[in-house]
Amino acid sequence: MHPFQYQRADSAEQAVATVTKNPAATFIAGGTSHVDLLKEGVYRPGLLVDVSALPLRQITAHEGGLRIGAGVSNTAAAASAEVRQRYPAVSEALLAGASVQIRNVASMAGNPLQRTRCPYFRDPTQACNKREPGSGCAALEGYNHVHALFGASAACVATHPSDVAVALAALDARVQTLGPKGPRTIAFPELHRLPGTTPHLDTILEHGELITSIDLPAFTGRSHYLKVRERASYAYALVSCAVALEMDGPNIRRARVALGSVAHKPWRATSAEAMLAGQRPTEQLFRAAADAAFAEAKPLKHNAYKVPMGRQLMVRALLETSSLQPLQGPAGTAFAASVGGVAGQVASPR
Amino acid sequence: MSLPLKPEFPLALQTGDLAPDCELPDGSRLTELRGRPVVLAFAPDTWDPTLAHQSELFAQLLAEFGSGAAFVDAAADEWHALDCRGELAERFGVVGKRALFLLDEQGIVRWKTVVEPGEDLRPGPVLAALEALHPPTPAAASPATGVLASGLTRRTFVTATLAAAALLLLPGCRTESSDTNEQAATGSADGAGSGNGLLAVTLRINDKNYPLQLDPRVTLLDALREHLHLTGTKKGCDHGQCGACTVHLNGQSALSCLTLAVMSQGQEITTIEGLSTGEALHPMQAAFLKHDAFQCGYCTPGQIMAATALLQDQTTRTGSAVELREAMSGNLCRCAAYPNILAAIQEVQRA
Repeated sequence: MHPFQYQRADSAEQAVATVTKNPAATFIAGGTSHVDLLKEGVYRPGLLVDVSALPLRQITAHEGGLRIGAGVSNTAAAASAEVRQRYPAVSEALLAGASVQIRNVASMAGNPLQRTRCPYFRDPTQACNKREPGSGCAALEGYNHVHALFGASAACVATHPSDVAVALAALDARVQTLGPKGPRTIAFPELHRLPGTTPHLDTILEHGELITSIDLPAFTGRSHYLKVRERASYAYALVSCAVALEMDGPNIRRARVALGSVAHKPWRATSAEAMLAGQRPTEQLFRAAADAAFAEAKPLKHNAYKVPMGRQLMVRALLETSSLQPLQGPAGTAFAASVGGVAGQVASPR
Repeated sequence: MSLPLKPEFPLALQTGDLAPDCELPDGSRLTELRGRPVVLAFAPDTWDPTLAHQSELFAQLLAEFGSGAAFVDAAADEWHALDCRGELAERFGVVGKRALFLLDEQGIVRWKTVVEPGEDLRPGPVLAALEALHPPTPAAASPATGVLASGLTRRTFVTATLAAAALLLLPGCRTESSDTNEQAATGSADGAGSGNGLLAVTLRINDKNYPLQLDPRVTLLDALREHLHLTGTKKGCDHGQCGACTVHLNGQSALSCLTLAVMSQGQEITTIEGLSTGEALHPMQAAFLKHDAFQCGYCTPGQIMAATALLQDQTTRTGSAVELREAMSGNLCRCAAYPNILAAIQEVQRA
């Protein structure tokens, strides 16, 4: 690890002021992803400002929805009865990610801010515009099987790895921040950026801007998260899909669909959403919507498999959310969220 | 033992000589260390694996030694790195040279090697010689403690010899560059408060407080193993992928390799050493034994810490096999003792 100084923040305001005035400073919360990047030499901060002890660990009712403090652990958020019952996609996405040990420590603000799992980003000997602007992109012509289908650029084909970010994008969560210019609210789908020519910037957050909470708006529909990965548990998604469905009698009033691990940010399938609105849910409709969602996909050399896989996954997620097919496990658990393997089996009482 | 080097140097202390008493950099005197073997390494640089050229050499040594990356961060606090420009180097007759002395429990030089400036040294022969002198084999160690007949623990011996040999690989003394060296060594960690970059950290582990001086880069895992010698917690991958380093933070399982020690201040840390009560094993430990839930045992402390934390976890309340497999997926077992691990956990859950 590159040497750094360490400081524990006493307040959010102090943390923001400290990081804002020091270009080499950065926040650290749970650290489960951050410490690994320090070890790998990808991160070389001069100062770590520890925000893990700040009083941002409550889940409270807020404007008909829920306010989840930035420091709430992934475990606590997933286990919250309010989250699990009203926003099962959030619990499912959290529990389908990482391991118990990591979820116990990882924070709700940190999870969506984790960096790509592109292997070239994590290897300082390789060209990577995200890690080192201007150095090139080794993944473009390299082994790009986990890389992007949508919104990539010649500078970067990385995907965003967070599961819960996909669910938060589908639910139109809002991110509350405190920054150099004071507090602001960011619509979750706007938080992450596409790579363009500046892939080193994952989000629109400014230097020194701290997430203080993630707000889930009032929502009375159904939500669901489904994930396919290379092993049964404790693996990043190859493709994932979050659905938020609001019904109007027998018809869909509004459907929101976000795809994970296919772009530099959670990818809202807006063309599919438009097709679903006002329609009666059928498998045929869902297949047409999935075809529309993946029509714009631009596969690379090694990730073309993601197109049929993603299409199929999206159909299944819609079928399960609309109850045309049963969930594979109890709503709000990893068993509902995981395709295949041990985790995909229904968890039955002994 | 044969060395393809030129270990003899006319003015240097000879094998069999009694080492002269002297003060070491940490303030202790050599005579105070009688009763245990001492490694003295003279080099132009102090050992700091965070310095790029040193870590490169060390990595090269590890590759030849085949001991794996687990030693890279190991601090060897039972050996002494000495400045080859100093008074000690004069008394040992090795001014301006890289040299390694192994003293036995009586303070007699048992083995030494001196490298002339400009001379090249390959790590293989040095390690072979060190091993021949003091083989770190399981047979020579007490199975319970890993302590060699000489009183040196096996891991300390291996670490110390590796580190010392790495020192010998460093370029020879260049007195004109001494200032640069010192700047590089202190500048790297300077500014974090105390001048040497160390922070006063108190960790509460197994109901006891441990005051430490730590670089902020030290992970909780390294603080446990290298600073406090609580080596029950294992370093597997050191990247959060295997679960071998699992401990409890405030009763919940956590990966000590992905936790900076300084950030775990104020938390109740429990390690595998804190589970048993004297000789009485925790029920989970007993169940692992009963169900033969391991082969090599390296992942076992992490498995047991993850499993004991699950006893309080609501998400595994039914204790079904699929729930437990999912909840334990962060702990890998290379020997694939999974069915037995599952059986052990289920037995404790039902009790």
